Formats: sequence, structure tokens, C-alpha cells
Amino acid sequence: MRSLLVIPLLLFSIGARAADPSKILRITFQAAETGFDPVKVSDYYSGTVIEAIFDPLLSYDYLARPAKLVPNTAAALPQITDKGRTYRVEVKPGIYFADDPVFRGRKRELTALDYAYSLRRFLDPKNRSPYAFLFEGIAGIETPDRHTLVIRLKQPDFNFSHVLAFSLAGAVAREAIEHYGDESAARPVGSGPFRLKSYTRSSKIVLEANPGYREVVRDGARLPRIGGVEISIMEETQSRWLAFQRGDTDIEYQLAEVAPTFITADGQLKPEFARRGIKLERSVDPEIIYLYFNMQDRTVGGLSKEKIALRRAIAMAYKIEDQIRIIRKGQSIRAQYPIPPGVAGHDPAFRSSLVYDPRAANGLLDRFGYKKGPDGYRRLPDGGPLVIRYSSTPSERDRQFDELMKRSLDSIGIRLEIHKERFPELIKLENQCRLMMRGAAWIADYPDGDNFMQLLYGPNAGQSNNACYRSPEYDKRYERSRLLPDGPERDQLYREMTRIMETDTVWLLTDSRYRNVLMQPRVKGYTKHPVMHAEWLYLDLE
Amino acid sequence: MSLWQLAWRRFVRDPVGVASAAVVLAFTALAAASALGWIARDWSSEVAVSYAPPPFMKEELLGEEMRETASSAALPDYGIQDPIAKELAEVRASLTEMAKGEARAGSLVFGADKWGRDVLKKAIKGTETSLLVGFAAAALATLLGTLFGAFAGYHGSWVDDFFNWLYSVFTSIPYLLLVLAVAAVLGQKGILTVVLILGLTGWTGIFRLVRAEYLKHRVREYVLAADAVGASNARRMFAHILPNVSHVVLVQLSLHVVLFIKSEVILSFLGFGVGVDTVSWGTMLAEAPSELILGMWWQIAAATLFMALAVTAFSLFTDAARDALDPRLQ
Amino acid sequence: MSNYLIRRLWQFIPTLLGVVLLVFFLFNWVGGDPAYLLAGKIASPELIENIRRSLGVDQPYWVQLWIFVKQVATADFGVSWSTNERVSQIFATRLGPSLTVLLPLLVISTVIALGAAMLVAYYRGSLTDRGIMIACTVGQSVSILVYILLLQYWLAYQLGWFPVQGWGSTLGENLLRYAALPILVGVIVSLAPDIRLYRSFFLDEIGQDYVRTARAKGLGEGRVVGLHVLRNAAIPITTNVMMQIPGLLAGAFLIERFFSIPGIGREVILAVERSDFPVIKAVTVYVAIATMIVNLLADLTYRALDPRVQLK
Repeated sequence: MRSLLVIPLLLFSIGARAADPSKILRITFQAAETGFDPVKVSDYYSGTVIEAIFDPLLSYDYLARPAKLVPNTAAALPQITDKGRTYRVEVKPGIYFADDPVFRGRKRELTALDYAYSLRRFLDPKNRSPYAFLFEGIAGIETPDRHTLVIRLKQPDFNFSHVLAFSLAGAVAREAIEHYGDESAARPVGSGPFRLKSYTRSSKIVLEANPGYREVVRDGARLPRIGGVEISIMEETQSRWLAFQRGDTDIEYQLAEVAPTFITADGQLKPEFARRGIKLERSVDPEIIYLYFNMQDRTVGGLSKEKIALRRAIAMAYKIEDQIRIIRKGQSIRAQYPIPPGVAGHDPAFRSSLVYDPRAANGLLDRFGYKKGPDGYRRLPDGGPLVIRYSSTPSERDRQFDELMKRSLDSIGIRLEIHKERFPELIKLENQCRLMMRGAAWIADYPDGDNFMQLLYGPNAGQSNNACYRSPEYDKRYERSRLLPDGPERDQLYREMTRIMETDTVWLLTDSRYRNVLMQPRVKGYTKHPVMHAEWLYLDLE
Repeated sequence: MSLWQLAWRRFVRDPVGVASAAVVLAFTALAAASALGWIARDWSSEVAVSYAPPPFMKEELLGEEMRETASSAALPDYGIQDPIAKELAEVRASLTEMAKGEARAGSLVFGADKWGRDVLKKAIKGTETSLLVGFAAAALATLLGTLFGAFAGYHGSWVDDFFNWLYSVFTSIPYLLLVLAVAAVLGQKGILTVVLILGLTGWTGIFRLVRAEYLKHRVREYVLAADAVGASNARRMFAHILPNVSHVVLVQLSLHVVLFIKSEVILSFLGFGVGVDTVSWGTMLAEAPSELILGMWWQIAAATLFMALAVTAFSLFTDAARDALDPRLQ
Repeated sequence: MSNYLIRRLWQFIPTLLGVVLLVFFLFNWVGGDPAYLLAGKIASPELIENIRRSLGVDQPYWVQLWIFVKQVATADFGVSWSTNERVSQIFATRLGPSLTVLLPLLVISTVIALGAAMLVAYYRGSLTDRGIMIACTVGQSVSILVYILLLQYWLAYQLGWFPVQGWGSTLGENLLRYAALPILVGVIVSLAPDIRLYRSFFLDEIGQDYVRTARAKGLGEGRVVGLHVLRNAAIPITTNVMMQIPGLLAGAFLIERFFSIPGIGREVILAVERSDFPVIKAVTVYVAIATMIVNLLADLTYRALDPRVQLK
């Protein structure tokens, strides 16, 4: 629901309203958080809370689509000089950290030095931050004065502003970090709109409006309008769904499994819920979900025509439509392009050439000599056994994908072996390029296509390039694309790179999920932002 | 008359025992028929629409299946050639017109699961798997527990200490960790893994009981007599004592069949169940949380019904057998 | 007696050592590498190395084992690898919720089961006895998973008698509001097996000579069952109840998970999923010690209640 952006004439009248302590937003997380020190976490949920407690230099406009960068604690968007290698930002004066005993009763102003300290923490190997990779491009940070920050990069990068807007790039206070030490994850001290009021690990997180938050006014009211946020950790969908229906929670969006109970086939909220005043907001997450082949594997990897044909046949036999209809319960759309909608560089007109056609797949395999043996399963052209090893975790969720994979491979007569391994082990094997085939997903860290295209870049093999794909043609174009800003020239490169990925059949893009956000009638002014997680600053409750 | 003959006599006089034995036999027959492929052989065919309900319900929850459209419209290639374009075109050209898809049933007696598979057939096939897992795992656990218990109870001293130590250690490790260990070693090869997980972790109860029995029996006269005539340890343990202990062992075997059938459900829920190429009551129930909340109750109902019948019958049978075998209870 | 006691206490050490060795071995073999989980989306080899170094797993095995042994001796297992919370802190905060559910559950189910078992023992052989026993058997044949799902859906959601899930901040609130349904589910699930077991204990006693003597002396059946038999059956019943106590430590993880109770059972699952070795180590050692202590207490209680029992 879009709130009206009426230029407030009342803005300068007697005192804009402050946060109302009786307005508490109740939401849930479906997985436990790990902590609130920006350098120590990597999970989405911890990131959401961190975004509400700390202040990055930049942020995104709440309503603008596609996502638009705006200054947050910065006075203006960064000055980019030296062909994208130097970023200069001024920090607004008069912004203070939330009061904390560690400041010994004094008001602590936020300065450029704090940002220098916070960013450097990511680069410190002692902190072993999972998001260090985002800041790796930094060659040096300088603070010519208290309110000016200058960042020099190793390579030109026109997207670095997104890093400065990243949820974990907020400023932390050195005194707090040094004083709380190991406890820093449980004692966050930030300058953001909320602060931690109480915290029961893996169970409940309670935030309250930061009384010292700087003045940010919107529609005649100071933000945040609500007095606090109560977050309960609920792992089971049934629990979350029942809690929302009983009115115990205000906003709920982790309900993919029960979507058919409140959404009709054409994506509308069912009447029995609309009648109660419940609102639905639907958007596509800036993510891609795909199946990858390990290009270094002996059975499925390599660029010979036989191997391309094998991968192509498997891609053509996998019934994406069933994945969307049955596993996702209709709550996703086919991903045609490696860059999802809403992210700079997305091409809405592009159509994947990998279409579902099991008969043609069978024909292709016959044509390239993958003959069926006496057991009914196909063998390699040289007569050797052919077994596709598909890796997944031992969860009920993954089991559905296993079943779909089995049905798909059965339709082309290929023997399947399911390799079960717990998630950390799976990642380890993946990084060592020792898996054969697996499903993967990537959600945007920042709303630019480069964040997605780097997934197939050769030198990233062993890290984010889980297909371990090394193609000189692809890499050449990727490196050129890094030097270009978002625009038609870069788009053309991206299209060629996608085509290369498809003709080599490294990935099969499957889908991007809908985010269905349900809100109780009392929630006002909420709209899901593609990249920002904590929209609590902007919404209101009746 | 021997203990067994007496027991048999007492057993057949118990109507509940006989009835439950009949049900157990019926289930075993069902499982056997399924294993031989006489029934439920096509359990994995998709014969109905997704989540087809039983006839007396009328919900269509998931969208209609779209017609297959293999697009032959030419897509732009942006200057990148497809290495197998020629072969692919040839294959496509040689394909005849679209084969018609088979009609899918709109509803089945027990409904269908998410892929449109017949729930009744799944339940029958699941009987085969669950009973097999239950029996095999119980047999393994009983074998291990009895062997260990016999050795520990009979020999005493350091042998007993060793097995007690093993017992303490085994019962102290979190069950989940043990399960993971076995699963990791075996690589989750389906039914065998589940049987081994249950069997290798479930012997401890039997061990304690058999050990207690052996402790009791080894000081009895018939054992001392056997010693006097020079019977070896092994002979005494297995030829003399074991028959007198066998009724305890058999009851434990029976109890563990029930226990493991139920444990299989929990294992499936945790993700360590049988593979996707087969079905068990556990895998059916593991889908329950996500299905129930959508209002799809037929799979959980079928699995629970079958399991309740089989397990109840088996438990009642065990009770009757135990009562029949116990010389004190009359 | 004191000899026996000392012997048993001494035996703690090799057992504990065995547990330590086994857990260490198991974890390093199959426990998974936590570094990859902590490394996040993009794991460069340097980052992995960093993490492993900070966790201490890059050191040779015997060094890690020695550290583990020292940790057992000092009962200090350090901090959780995934949340940096002190392990002792984790236990202190999670034990409360687990016990708030499981202790009342134990008490209530034992009392009810005892009452029901005595009843059927009194009326043994009758239709009541048969009927209740068959009902128990049927009840026991349904998986706990099904009970949790159905009861949560029906009693909490449809009828609104209980909160669907969650946990509060005060003991009173927790006990009366949030723990109610979990306790109910737990009682229902454990009633059947307990009744059957206690019934068998009672029947074992009823078959004894002293009961015939009591009856011959003219005592009413009520007194026989309610007083004499109960006293003697108390031994196996007590040991049975005590055996369930280590289970309390491990927590009923299914119940905790579906009702979102921040207890030990749920914590263990989380720890295993995240390959959080310090937590796993601590839980295993505590459960091992508790099991050994409880076994010892059970045996001692056995001896105290029944002088005929010989402990060697």
C-alpha cells in the first residue's frame, strides 16, 4: 500500500509527532538470528535487525522502483572521481549514537572516523567477516576531516555506492566494540532508528524506537512512528500462519507453503481474508534459483558436443512448470534471465532458449550415442555407466526437489543418485568443485546486475561460481562489463554472456519467488522494498 | 509339555491375541504381496491431478496443468552460436506431432499426493517398507543386544565392565549425532541406512534386559551342572541359557519392531528416511505438516490409519504372547 | 556399600573418557566443517582458513583433544561457534524452559499413569482392564508427530484454548499459558506406555506370595493393591521415573520445535545443524554425567528400597 507523499505543510508547525510507544509492530523470523555485530554475521535475519539499529551512509528511497540510492547519514550521494576509483562522502553533523553506558554519560556524535573504523573492520582478517568480499575492492580509507570520508578502490567500480548502502555497512562505535568485546553481537550500539531493548537468543528480539534518533520527518511525522518492534522466532510454518490468523502478528511473509490458502490462482487475496481488512502485497524477490552443472566434473562437465548435449537434454527434461506449480504452489515465476526483475540490467524481453521438451531431449541423447542398456537406463557413448549425482540436504523441503529431479531424469532414461549431505559439508564440497549437480539460489546483495553476472566469472570458481565455470569468452565480456555503468552497452554484453551460459548449458535457470506479504488492517504505509529489509522505519500502526 | 507348547495353548484361548495375530498376518501378507509386485507396483505413477481429494470433497487447490508448449519460435542469438544447433534442429524436425497426455483422475478413494500419486497405493507400498525396516532393524538390534548382554552377563568382571562402559557411552551421545554418524558413513543409501541407524543405536535396552537375565541364570543349578560335565562357555551361553531366556528376547524383538516403525517416522521427519525411489509411512507423515496446513488431510489420515492398525495389532499380539509365555501369570 | 559407591564413582572416569573420545571422533569425522557455514555466501580460501584458525580447528587433533579434556575438567566449554554466546550461558538460559515443560509433564503423567495402572490392576482381567489397555495400545500406535500437529491445529487454532506457540518472560506466564498445551501433548503421548509399564509392574507384584498371604489374612483388595503392592511396585516405578530424567536434559526436541520453546532440545538440533561443536560437546558431557549419576542413584534407591538386592 502506498502512502501518500503529501508535501507536509504541517512540517514546520508545532512539534512533529514522535514515536508512539503503544505502537508495537509484531513480526516473526523463520530462522534464528546469530547476533548483531555487522562483521560477525551473514544471515538475512541478523542483517535485518542490524539495518534497523545502525546507520549506513546511504540508503534507498522507500518508494522508488527500481531501487534508487539516496543519502542517509551522508549529506549527499558520493562524489565519484578518478574514473570510478575514488569516492568522497560528507557525513552530516549533528547525528548521535544512542545513549549507552560506554559513552560515560556524554552524547556521542557520529563522524567519518566511525565509518572508517566500521569499514576497516570488514577488512581485518581477525574478524573473519563473511561479507569481507564486498569490501575487498577498497585500497585505502582516509578522513581528511571529522566529517569527510574518502575511499580509494583498487579497481574502477561504479557500483560501490551500493556497498555503502548495504545493510551491514552501518557505523559502529569503537568504544562499544572495544568495551563489549565478545559480547558485541548482543550489545549493539548504533545511531539508527531503533535500539535493542531486550533479547532472548533464538527466541525473541525486542526493539524500541531510539529516542535520540535524528530528526527525519515524513508526512508531518517524525520517523519512526512506531514505538517498537517485537520479533519472535518461529520455525514452523504452521505456527507462523496460525499466529497471524489469530492476530498475534502484524506482518507475515514467510508463508510460501500455505499460499494457496489465502491466495487465489490468479494472485489475489481470497475474499474471506480481504473481508477482515487483511492486505496482501505481492512482489518478486530479486533472486534467481537455478540448477548448475559442475563444469569440471568428468561425467557432466566439459565443452565437447557430447557433454553439451547431455547437459542440454537434462535441462530440457527438467519440468520447471511442476516446480512452480506443485513445489512452489504457484508462488514463483519462471526465471528467463540471470538478472531478476527490479535489478539494474534486467532484460524483460529476454526468453531462455532452454525450453521443456523431453521428447527432443530423448532424441538428442539418442543422436549423440547415449544408448539405453539392458536395465533401461542410458549409458555413456563409450559404453560406460552413466549416473547423475544430484546433491541436496536431508530436509523435507529438498526431498521434493529430489522427487522432481527423479521424475525428470526418468523421463529421459537417466539413472539418478541422490547425494545427501548437510549444508556446511555441501558448501565445502561445492567450493572444492567436487559436486556434480545441485540446485542453488542467489539473492541480490545490492540491486545491480553485476552481483549476478559475477556468479559465472572464471576466477570466482571455488567461491561464488559454484558451477566452477571457466569460459574465456564469458570472462572477457564480464571484465569489459565491469568498466561500464548501467546502460545499453552493458546490457548488450550481458545478453551475450547469458547466451554463452545457455549454449554451454552451464545453468538451468528455474524461477524467482514471489514475496507475498500479508498485513493486518492496522498496518499502514508498508511496502516491501526489494533490497532494504527493515521497512519498520517508515510504517505506521493504527 | 515344554514352555512353548504350554504358551501356545494359553495363547489360542485369548481372543484378542488371536485376532491381533490375524491382523499381523494380514499386514505381513500385504507387505509380501507388495514386495513381490502383485499389488501397488505402480504406486509411483502419476495417475491423478496434484492433491486430488477423496470423492466426497471438492477442492481444486492447484492450478490446471498447462499444455506442453515446446516453443519452436526462433529466438535471437545475440551473435553467439549454439554448438549443437544443427543436431538439435535435426532432432526436432524428426519428431512427429505432440503425443497426447494421459488423462488424470480428478479424485481417488484415498486421494492423491502432490505429484498425483495414489495415496492408497503409497500406503500399501509403505507397509512393505515400514514393516521391512521395523523387522530388520529390530532383528539387528536384538542380535546385538542379545550377544552383548549374553557376554556381559555371563562372563562378568572386565567383560561386563567393558560392555557397561559401551552402554553408558552409547546412551550419553545425543541421538541425533549418532544418527548423523551412521548416515555419514553409509552415505544414505535408503532402506539399508535406516535399518542400520535404528539397529546400531537401538540395542541398548535389550542389552540391559538380557544381561540381567544372564546374571540371574548363570548361578542357577542347571548351568553349574553343565559346567560340571565340561560344557564350554559358548555352549552354556547359547545352548543352555539362551533357550530359557528366549521368551524375554522374543518379546523385546516384538516391542522393538513397534518402536522402530515409529522411530522411522521421526527419522524421516529429520531427513534421514528412505530414499525418493521408495515410500514408507514415515515419508508420508513427514509431508504432513506442510499438507495439513493446506487442508490436505488424506495422506496423513491414510498413513496414520495403516500404521495405527498395524502397530496396535502387533502390540496386542506381543502382549498376548508375553502373557502366554509368562509362567507366573495365571 | 561404600566400596561399591567408590567403585561406581571411579567408573565415571573411563566412561566419561569414552564419551569424550567418541564425541570427538564422531564430530571430526561426520560433524561437518563449521567454517563453511560461518563463511557466508562467498567463501574465499583465506576466509575459511581464518575461521578455522579462530575456532581452533586448524590445530593437530591431539591438541584439540587435550583442550577438550581440559574443558571437561573445568566444565567450561567456551563460546558457541555460531553465536559467540558462552556455552554455560546457553545452558543456563535454555534449561529453564525445557524444565518448565518437562518437569510438570513428568509429574502429571506419572500420577495419572499410576492411578490408571492401579485401577486396571485392581480390575484386572475385566472388561475395564481390557478396554483401557486396548485404548492405550491404540493411542500408542499413533506417532507423536501426528499428535502435535492435530492438537496444535485443533485446540490452539480452531478452538483457541491455548496459544499456538511461543514463550513468555515470567515463570508464571510460561507455566500457565505457554507450557500448557505442550505439557498436555506430552502427557497424552506418554500416558499409554507408562500405564502399560506400571500395570505390568503391579501385576508382577500381585502374582507374588506375599499378596496371597495378605488376602488370606483378610485384607481387602483395595488395601492390598493400594498399600502393599504399591510399595513394592514403587521400586521399578521409581527407577523408571528416574531413568527419564537424563531425557529431560536432552529435551523433547519435537515439542520444543513445534511450540517454539527456547529449550535445550531445540538448541541441540540447532547446534548439530550448524556444526557448533562447543555446544554439542557440552550437551554430550552433561548428559553423560547425568546418565551416570542417575543410574547410580537408581541402583542405590533400588538397594535402599529392597534390602534383598545385592550390589556387587
